[in-house]
Amino acid sequence: ADIISTVEFNHSGELLATGDKGGRVVIFQQEQENKTQSHSRGEYNVYSTFQSHEPEFDYLKSLEIEEKINKIRWLPQKNAAQFLLSTNDKTIKLWKISERDKRPEGYNLKEEDGRYRDPTTVTTLRVPVFRPMDLMVEASPRRIFANAHTYHINSISINSDYETYLSADDLRINLFHLEITDRSFNIVDIKPANMEELTEVITAAEFHPNSCSTFVYSSSKGTIRLCDMRASALCDRHSKLFEEPEDPSNRSFFSEIISSISDVKFSHSGRYMMTRDYLSVKIWDLNMENRPVETYQVHEYLRSKLCSLYENDCIFDKFECCWNGSDRQVEFLSPIVMTGSYNNFFRMFDRNTKRDITLEASRENNKPRTVLKPRKVCASGKRKKDEISVDSLDFNKKILHTAWHPKENIIAVATTNNLYIFQDKMN
Amino acid sequence: MLGKGGKRKFDEHEDGLEGKVVSPTDGPSKVSYTLQRQTIFNISLMKLYNHRPLTEPSLQKTVLINNMLRRIQEELKQEGSLRPMFVGASQPADPLSDNFREAQPAFSHLASPPLLPADLVSTMPLESCLTPASLLEDDTFCTSPAVQHDGPTKPPPSALQPVKDSFSSALDEIEELCPAPTSAEAVAAEPAADDSKAQPSESNIHKAEGLPESRTAESKLMDPLPGNFEITASTGFLTDLTLDDILFADIDTSMYDFDPCTSATGAASKMAPVSADELLKTLAPYSSQPVTPNQPFKMDLTELDHIMEVLVGS
Repeated sequence: ADIISTVEFNHSGELLATGDKGGRVVIFQQEQENKTQSHSRGEYNVYSTFQSHEPEFDYLKSLEIEEKINKIRWLPQKNAAQFLLSTNDKTIKLWKISERDKRPEGYNLKEEDGRYRDPTTVTTLRVPVFRPMDLMVEASPRRIFANAHTYHINSISINSDYETYLSADDLRINLFHLEITDRSFNIVDIKPANMEELTEVITAAEFHPNSCSTFVYSSSKGTIRLCDMRASALCDRHSKLFEEPEDPSNRSFFSEIISSISDVKFSHSGRYMMTRDYLSVKIWDLNMENRPVETYQVHEYLRSKLCSLYENDCIFDKFECCWNGSDRQVEFLSPIVMTGSYNNFFRMFDRNTKRDITLEASRENNKPRTVLKPRKVCASGKRKKDEISVDSLDFNKKILHTAWHPKENIIAVATTNNLYIFQDKMN
Repeated sequence: MLGKGGKRKFDEHEDGLEGKVVSPTDGPSKVSYTLQRQTIFNISLMKLYNHRPLTEPSLQKTVLINNMLRRIQEELKQEGSLRPMFVGASQPADPLSDNFREAQPAFSHLASPPLLPADLVSTMPLESCLTPASLLEDDTFCTSPAVQHDGPTKPPPSALQPVKDSFSSALDEIEELCPAPTSAEAVAAEPAADDSKAQPSESNIHKAEGLPESRTAESKLMDPLPGNFEITASTGFLTDLTLDDILFADIDTSMYDFDPCTSATGAASKMAPVSADELLKTLAPYSSQPVTPNQPFKMDLTELDHIMEVLVGS
């Protein structure tokens, strides 16, 4: 139940939300920067914890509906409160997180503890005033969007109009309005008339960051379709189809499975998008459909182990990927993308220098406040000192969820049960 | 399997059995390709059939595994050697499909997948069927596990013979089985075949019979064998429809919804005779006596008591 299932920074980076298998959401808040300690940024401490989803039972199918939080997406902040969408397999909820640090005192008819005063004892009138109190963070569900999905929801994405959002399950994508819970529009439907003909499912979907009528969705066959909602109400026909032709020298029984895309993320500018399949990360230019502009191998040494990974189901692991904030801040940040791997390793690729690095998120190997040591996996031949051989990788220690602060080089990396927050070395 | 544990030497001369293309036309590697394909087929079937989750299985995973199986079946079809034999066995399934489409087909198709080839694979040497994926990665066709650690670079020639022989002897077995089904299999096929003639209301009950029967039989057969691959492999050979209907059709809940008080016999007042009727029907396949639903049951009361005792465990 403590298995982390999603990690997401909010738009300012001040808050970091995690969802877990037990349906809980934990939000961390960055401390305000201490002027005296200019060499380190604020730490993240627990800000709020609440139970977002509960397990349910589908009586029709006699199956449980997991309360595991699949995705969390923050809304941009409009007032003092924060809003986020969280979803499990079937239901999406809009949560309001608000602070309370004052409370009214000095009522005429009530005592401080709430008991009513005897009216005959009231001799003077006073105006209640707000007095400070200990900070209390409250989370309350403001909207519940239920019963819109027959299949398991894998993605939610808030539109740039900040009024609508999409939710995607295995076969359909729906468009919701944040204010309306009892209706949604179906914008993509790939369910075949005869379910026996089903060979492809939707794996992820996202709205374009700037164009409110454009979205993409990826499939289990390694394709990405870009759709424009202005073209038709039901976007079953794509406007663009992104697919890289298969490399014949790499063909195997598992080609299709490893081509299945587990995550798709637009760059902040909207010019590029990144996809993650089992072995690689690909950067696509939206203007070019026939192949990606960059491909980074995450753990190519696993290619010869695919049969075992199929047997133990690891080949179906869904790794996510993320961009750093470089698109927004033109200056000092080089463009880097990050994704997870096994053995609690995670990888970063610098798109300019083409250098990559492998780091490990583990307590044993890294003391707090020490610089992470780069790791290396030895695929074949003699193992050098400090290298790890492929056969001693722990496939139960997988990093599926990572997130990058929108403005600074602070990253959140989730291992199975733990959340690690790293920042780059300053000065 | 991978994970922490003894580190193996990584053989530099490894052919990259999985990573590179192994064309079916290469000489000695044709067997390796076939073997690998068979192993993957077995693993895939096991994944589909053995999964009994509390929550709905992931549709993506199911679709990917199903695609894998389809691709392998297509290849086998094209290779042509095995298909013709099973046409006969798969035909009974077809007329049923329409009937079942209206009334929850999923489990009836579970009933028909022949337990037929249950015997088939005992003749296949265990090593060739049970090749764990890790052995394939070492590119060894060991006929004995002891050889594993030496990691020979070429498959020992002796391995080729047993594999081919086992295939042909396995095919012989199937041929024998197909024209003259033995009692258990015949009865498994019969209630399923009968359904196409029976009343729709009865067909539900027959399907329900098929379900516990096939499940128990399946588990009986699976338990003694160390690997479940064999049985599931043969299932795949026999019927295409079976796979798909199980995967994507609605779940038949008629068994779970069964309320003795509202059974088709209409005898709402007495619980005992009604349950005895049902009992008889479920027992029919085991006793190898064809039973039509409209016949009054002829079992002795003493026999019935005995059966009730066994079931209740008193």
